[in-house]
Amino acid sequence: VAGDPRVQQIHDRALAEIAGARSTSDLESLRVRVLGRSGELTTLLRSLGSLPAAERPKVGQQANEVKQALETALAERVEALKGEERRRARESERLDLTLPGRFTMPGPRHPLTRVLDEMIEIFEGLGFSVAEGPEVESDYYNFSALNFPDDHPARDMQDTLHVAGGALLRTHTSPVQIRTMLARRPPVRVICPGRVYRRDLTDATHSPMFHQVEGLAVDRHLTMADLKATLDLFARRMYGAQSRVRFRPSFFPFTEPSAEFDVLCFKCGGAGCRFCKQGGWIEIGGSGMVHPNVLRNVGYDPEEVTGWAFGMGVERIAILKYQVDDIRLFFENDLRFLQQFTR
Amino acid sequence: MKISYRWLREYVETDLPPSALADRLTNAGIPVEESVPVVEGLGGVVVGEIEAIERELGESRPGHLNRLCRVALPDRKFSVICGAPNVAPGLRTALAPPGATLPGGRTIAVTTIRGVVSEGMLCSEKDLGIGDDNDGILALPPDAPLGTDFVTYLGLDDTIFEIEITPNRPDALSIVGVAREIAAVTGAPFRFPQVAVKEAEPEAATLTSVEIADPDLCPRYAARVISGLTVKPSPPWLAQRLRAVGLRPINNVVDVTNYVLWELGQPLHAFDHATLAGGRIVVRRARPGEHLTTLDGRDRALTPDMLMICDAERPVAVGGVMGGADTEVRPGTTTVLLESACFNPASVRRTSRALGLSTDAAYRFERGSDVEGVIPALDRAALLMADLGGGTVARGVIDVYPAPRPHSRVALRLERVERVVGAAPPRAEVIRILQALGFAVDDSGPVLQVVVPSFRRDIVQEDDFVEEIVRIWGYDKIPLTLAQAGEVTPVTRPADLALAGQTGRALTAAGLAECVTYSFVDPARLKAMGWDDPARLVALLNPLSVERSIMRPSLVPGLLEVLATNVHRQSPDVQMFETGVTFAPHRDADGDRPAHEELWLGVALTGQRAPRAWHASRDRVDIYDAKGMAELTLAVAGAPGAETQPWSAGEEPGYLEPGRAARLLVDGQEVARFGEVAHRVREVFDLPAPVFVAEVSLTALAARPLLVPRYVPLPRFPAVQRDLALVVPDDVTVAQVEAAIQGMDIPWLVRVALFDVYSGSQVGTGKRSLAWSLTYQAPDRTLTDAEVNEAHARVVRELARRFRAEVRGA
Repeated sequence: VAGDPRVQQIHDRALAEIAGARSTSDLESLRVRVLGRSGELTTLLRSLGSLPAAERPKVGQQANEVKQALETALAERVEALKGEERRRARESERLDLTLPGRFTMPGPRHPLTRVLDEMIEIFEGLGFSVAEGPEVESDYYNFSALNFPDDHPARDMQDTLHVAGGALLRTHTSPVQIRTMLARRPPVRVICPGRVYRRDLTDATHSPMFHQVEGLAVDRHLTMADLKATLDLFARRMYGAQSRVRFRPSFFPFTEPSAEFDVLCFKCGGAGCRFCKQGGWIEIGGSGMVHPNVLRNVGYDPEEVTGWAFGMGVERIAILKYQVDDIRLFFENDLRFLQQFTR
Repeated sequence: MKISYRWLREYVETDLPPSALADRLTNAGIPVEESVPVVEGLGGVVVGEIEAIERELGESRPGHLNRLCRVALPDRKFSVICGAPNVAPGLRTALAPPGATLPGGRTIAVTTIRGVVSEGMLCSEKDLGIGDDNDGILALPPDAPLGTDFVTYLGLDDTIFEIEITPNRPDALSIVGVAREIAAVTGAPFRFPQVAVKEAEPEAATLTSVEIADPDLCPRYAARVISGLTVKPSPPWLAQRLRAVGLRPINNVVDVTNYVLWELGQPLHAFDHATLAGGRIVVRRARPGEHLTTLDGRDRALTPDMLMICDAERPVAVGGVMGGADTEVRPGTTTVLLESACFNPASVRRTSRALGLSTDAAYRFERGSDVEGVIPALDRAALLMADLGGGTVARGVIDVYPAPRPHSRVALRLERVERVVGAAPPRAEVIRILQALGFAVDDSGPVLQVVVPSFRRDIVQEDDFVEEIVRIWGYDKIPLTLAQAGEVTPVTRPADLALAGQTGRALTAAGLAECVTYSFVDPARLKAMGWDDPARLVALLNPLSVERSIMRPSLVPGLLEVLATNVHRQSPDVQMFETGVTFAPHRDADGDRPAHEELWLGVALTGQRAPRAWHASRDRVDIYDAKGMAELTLAVAGAPGAETQPWSAGEEPGYLEPGRAARLLVDGQEVARFGEVAHRVREVFDLPAPVFVAEVSLTALAARPLLVPRYVPLPRFPAVQRDLALVVPDDVTVAQVEAAIQGMDIPWLVRVALFDVYSGSQVGTGKRSLAWSLTYQAPDRTLTDAEVNEAHARVVRELARRFRAEVRGA
């Protein structure tokens, strides 16, 4: 479109300046100078009154086109320069992204708590509630009610820690089973986690204090097969799907029949290795059907209900799981030991 | 207990190899812990006789004369150099000819010593791996058959099982007892040793008598008299059997008592009859002041609760535990009074413990011996003794058994087995198992009537049979089935345990390490920490050490010990917590619980707050870190906004620094405390840097009603913030100012947050600058500036008046 040469001149000059601009602020002042309210193009358009009426629309259209073209060119150039400016800013403030980030490192959970939590979680999933009882116990709950004969060696000052007034430090968490049964009617389905005490001198495998998780179920139709299946389910959760449980006859005053239970060695899968002392199985705990005398002691009728119980040592499981070679490490609380359990 | 495989096979006809037998026993409840061959690597050694000493070759070392011996076998002769002192013509011994192997991988070859050829070696016990004696070559009796393979001759092709018998099964503490188990498990026939004693005049009753003065401690005492004996070493087969099961051969009389003990499980004792005053036995409690020198040569002071075997005058043996030195059988003894008795288990155990004497006899008696096993063992030993010692057994048994025990009879319903186990063997198998184990079974009715033999005192009721049947049938046959749920009950977790889990996770997330310490602590350290009243503590009567003799009244002593351990192992920055029970004497509210126990969470901090890092400042922890951990715990436990109540100096717990300790109250109840550990306590624990602790009672928090979050609609109109900066005298606390603000009932004030604390030259001494951000917000409209300004001005005015506060930048 042939137009007014002055308009064309503004257009050409502005385009050249846009291309040569070095900063966004240059472009802004250019925009104000050419397209602003009192800019060159505006001023020119105001002076159109002197043109013949026939030409006015043509030049007006030309001016609008030029205005749009310049605005587009300006916007494009602004974008380019902004990108350029950001790039320069990045270069002037160089980051070392290999620097360590900022966060609070979580502290370690004690390995015994980890194992305890895991066990509690598994058994809660199997429908067990958690029951608690005192650590300082009476002879009755710790021994008599559990069918220990009066002259049982475990009652000696030799093996059990006593406190004044005839009480003692519980040697297992079984007294919690008695307290639980006395407090409610069947069905009972609980686990009893907690600290227990024996009068053992400390060495790599013995500690006067350790932790147990015991389980107890009493109901109308419970059998040893049910006990075995429950422990099998536990083993498969704790040690993996291929794990299995084996029962060996044993003796505890409070169960009849009694069984020790082993799990298939989780290192060698039963083939025999150094870990399981070539046996293929690892001893985990004791179990059995609640002795009829124990049921009678809490007012249950052994003809009406049967029950089973099991117990295992938390330290033993932690030792096997984390391959700790000295039980004393658990109670020394050296940070360099604990920090291995941050997760 | 060590059990010989060959010995077992004398009483049970099984062809199972040792390893298979060990597995079967273990699975039946007789755990075989270890199974080892009697000797390993012994081969080609034979019985030979030294025919002559051909010549002396000089000393190999001082006192050891090497001699060249001619050793004869039936078909061949060997020239062997031997340095043993007991080499003599006519001696039969073990010859290892060239090619023979000895334990330890040694192969014998022809050697030349100083130009003389030696065709093999004569062996000592130690060379053969059957004993420790290395002083001379093994001396075999003159009737040892020449040329016989030595392993066959002594029965060394044997395996020894180390078995662990549970305390309820004293009947299995013998060869015969284990053989009976094998018979039940395998179905192989079991033979009980039958004994016919050859007796001769005179009547035993003319030689001795037995009186039981205390039948409560000795239900049965039997004796025989064997005379005309020659005390001498036992024959090799007997000595070897004892050695193989870990017993030391002594002489033919004592060895027979040990042999029968091992075989039948009945402890026996042989007295030299000539040394017994009056030649007779009285079984009674010790009298005050009596003493006895036991076989181990030690003088024992006796107490009246100990049962003694006495002669007419004095104690001669500790009943069921150990014999006396004065009446011991020794070379020259010709007449033996042989004791076979039954003692009260608890009494034997008490006496054995009191005297510090654990013997094979006491081990069996304290678990309960078979009252009917007394006579068979007595007869078996008398026969053997007479055979091996060339003596005669006097006619008759002296048997004092004042109150014979009846056999109990128990009814057994077969469905009970199924009910308890969830599976059961068929009726015929049940009956077979019971009979094989020695029970008499009357199966004429649907319910079995079972008679319990005297050696199974552990079987008293129906369920005891359930175990017997199933353990022999096989625990591996118990299926895996889950019972159908009867009544369904919800799974619950005690509130304090749930809190322990939640708060523990929060504290580890905050960077603290969890520790687990012993429940017992050192009284000296407690005393230094202010627990000086023993009536407030729970003490152990029989602690393992005094440092672990008091049940912890607080978690702090254990935590300080952990801090010290780590600080002294180059970890100066320690931030620990523990969740555990604390102990105090019984209170009425504790009911039948013997002590007062509470679950607490304890925190202890020392050193730098954060590990050294490019972005972290090197600040030491301070008391506000300890308070913060308590507040974090309370917040997680659903009890935020605790009131801080500082202790006035002297009122704080003894382990905290005066003026630097406070309690935290929720709804007026103390739930936590925190403070700086007193300097002198730090010295006791050898902690160089300041230590700050916090304790939170999870028991107290668990008793509060569970806080369930309740939704409040979100504000729909904007909030307006105004800062408030005051300079106040430094005895004015933040809590006082905030309480004053809250007390003014300022409209629309929804939040007061302290954001700056400053003291220093700019505000002048004795003063502090405090700055809060106050947020105003109305629920129903946008507040105008004028409204907010007016409310805020009231706050400023009121505080300035009340606390003599200067308002900064207002």
